Formats: sequence, C-alpha cells, structure tokens
Amino acid sequence: MNPSDSDASRLESAATDRRGERDLDDLLVHVARGDSDAFEAVYDRLVGPVYGVIRRVLRDPSQSEEVTQEVLLEVWRTATRFDPAVGGAATWVMTIAHRRAIDRVRSTTAAAGREQRSAEVHTPHDEVAEAVEASLDRERVRRCLDGLTEVQRESITLAYYGGYTYRQVAERLKVTLGAIKTRIRDGLIRMRDCLGVS
Amino acid sequence: MRFRLLRHDLHALAGAYALDALDRPAERDRFARHLSRCPSCAAEVRGFREVATAMAFAATAEAPAELRPRVLAAAARTRQLPPEVSSHGTHARPPRTRSRVPWVPWLSGAVALASVAVAVFFSLAQSHTQDQLNQARAENQAINAVLSAPGVRVLNQVSTSGGTAIVILAADRHELAVVTTGLPALPPGKVYQLWLIGQKKIVSAGLLPAAKAGQTPAVLATGVVKGDTLGLTVEPAPGSSQPTTKPIVALPLPI
Repeated sequence: MNPSDSDASRLESAATDRRGERDLDDLLVHVARGDSDAFEAVYDRLVGPVYGVIRRVLRDPSQSEEVTQEVLLEVWRTATRFDPAVGGAATWVMTIAHRRAIDRVRSTTAAAGREQRSAEVHTPHDEVAEAVEASLDRERVRRCLDGLTEVQRESITLAYYGGYTYRQVAERLKVTLGAIKTRIRDGLIRMRDCLGVS
Repeated sequence: MRFRLLRHDLHALAGAYALDALDRPAERDRFARHLSRCPSCAAEVRGFREVATAMAFAATAEAPAELRPRVLAAAARTRQLPPEVSSHGTHARPPRTRSRVPWVPWLSGAVALASVAVAVFFSLAQSHTQDQLNQARAENQAINAVLSAPGVRVLNQVSTSGGTAIVILAADRHELAVVTTGLPALPPGKVYQLWLIGQKKIVSAGLLPAAKAGQTPAVLATGVVKGDTLGLTVEPAPGSSQPTTKPIVALPLPI
C-alpha cells in the first residue's frame, strides 16, 4: 500500500470534488521541468477559479486580468518550488492567486476604489448565492456557509472575497478584534468539517 | 500565564492568516515564524487553505479568452527558478532520524544509507563560512527528508568507468539523493553531471561535488517523474545544458 494514498484520498474527498487533484499535482511536477504542454493543461484547469477569486477581490476586470496573468506566470516560474508532500496543486495555486489579489488591494493604487466596493461586499452572502447555479463546488460552499452563524459567515466572506483585514472586518461588523479572530477561526473549522476537508 | 495568553492569542490568528487577512506584513511574518515551530498550527492552516481553495473554486469565472495566448507566450519567455532545497514548509515535518527508513533487505541498502549519512556529515564538516554551513544544513535537512520519506527505495549501479552510484529514491516526493563511491578522478576542466532522462526531454540534475575520500557528498534531485532514467556523464566544466558524452551510469527509476 502506497503510504501517500491516505493523502490522496483525503484530498479527493476534500472540499470541492476537484476531480483529478492527483493528476494536477503530477502536471505541476512536469511544469517544474519546463514542460509547456503540462503548463497549458494547468492553465486550462485553473484559470477559471484563479480569475474568479481575483475578480471577486479586486472587482475591476482589467486589474483582475492583469493579476491573473501575473499569478499564472508565477506558477510557471516557481513550479520548481511546489512540493506535493505539503499540499495539493490547486491549493498551492489558489494561495498564490489570493495573496496576489490581496497585495494589489492593499497597495495604495487600489485603495481608491475600496469604499465603492464596500456596499457590494456588505451583502456577501447574496453574492455567493448569486453565483451558485452551475457547479457542485458552489453548491457545497454555499451550503456550508449557510451552516455558519451570521458573524462567522460575514467575517469569512468579507476577509476572503472582500479582501479586508480582520481589523477592518471587526470595524465593519462592530465586533472586538479578539472576537473576530475567534469567529473567523471557528467558522473555518466548521467549514472544514462541513466540506469534508481533513 | 502571560505566555499562555500570548500563545493562545497567536493561535487564534490561524484563520485570519489562512485568509490573508492579517493586518500588517510584520504580523504575517510573525505568525509564519510561529507556524514553523507549531506543527498543529501548520496543519490547521493547511486545512483552512483547503477551505479557501473551495471558496476560490466556488467563485470560478470565465477568464477573457485573449489571456491564454498572452500567458503562454509570456511563460515561453520566462525562465523558471532552479529547484530549491532549503526554506519553506517542505521540511517542517522534522523526522531527522533514520528510524522511519524501512528496513532494506539487502546489505547494499544499509551501506547506501550509511554512505549518504556520512556524505551529509562531510558536507557539514567541509563548510567554512556561516553561509556554507546554513546551505549545507538545509541540504542535509532536504536529504534527510528523502531518507526518512515512507517507502524509499535504494538502488545502485556500477558505472561503466568504475565506481558505483547509489540512489535513494523517494517516489512519493518525486525526489532522490545520489552519492557515489570510487568514481575515477577527472582531469581538470571536466566534471561529473547528473541527468534526469525523460521520455520527452533531458534535464540536468546538477553536478557531483568533489569527492572526499573517494566518495561524493549527497546530491538531491527534485522533480523526478514516471519514466525517468538517472544518467551520469562526464562533461566539460562548468557542466552542459544537455549531455555531450555517453552516460557511464543509466539507471531507470521505478517511480
């Protein structure tokens, strides 16, 4: 029995029913060796969620496109640093994507548009609901978000989709800093259990 | 008591950290340092990141079609980083001892592991500056991670010009460590170079360091994939981008 099977099955049963997570890991290992076909395949598999999450955080389509390009290039450039033993390829890529979007949002140039966005972000639940239809991913995430308390749900969506720091989230929701930290963490623990992530 | 409060406080940040919602880079760095010392926090952050990944997938949107050719063209012009043996979370899982190495039912296996351990020791002992020492320690850690990976296999092959290459293959990690013993000394201006010979392309896996007492310190190769053969050739210094001579070792890797 291959000892990594437990990891693989953990990932397969995980959050999002991302079929072929294991293949994605292998593809990325090929990318690390300069295989451009593998990179094309990774692009096709992940550009949707990468662009989607960046767009969610940044709102502005042309900035989102720009950051998406940066992220995918970074995936190409740093694929040699991807370590399948630490986590799955999808998570590795999405972590880069979200962080880049956040960096952009926190940079001074993006600061201007923030207040405009805040009204929209104020109803994050509806936004999620709005995008529900198509995929099982959406359905599961929505269902799991629904299982949270309101403060948990709002703080997680404001932080992740809205790009707010936990301090900003605390101000918006008029909750103490300590409470927000705890709500985010508790909410994520519930999400994790609900999504079937280990 | 104060210490406990602080720890608890720090631990509570795992969620915000995983969502990139910490306030300042300094705070993020502080938590990242904490992670490297707290395996349970690291595991928690990994789980939260999977949740975040599900949320990213739930936000999937159609990217503009013109992005694809642009990204692929940019990638074709962009040089990839060389593999790294140090830093990041890879080696956060610390088992350094060889106790988890499965018993290898033939003598050469045990000898090989001992050889690698000795070679690692040499690379530490030979380090003169702090940088070299840090580098050697990082390599040592990376190589130990290979040695202690579950299901490692030990392979060896006698080179066509004498001496033996010993390979510790950690298939699950896509990594291997190589040491050699008794390879003939090379004339000045020549080096031994390792290759991963795949079905589609051949990539360099680095140069063999100078031998000490007939043995070369362990070299780590990453990105090993199915169908690869490990090759060893003699190349003009400082190494070639593709092999220019016939391999003296060509060892198919059972991955």
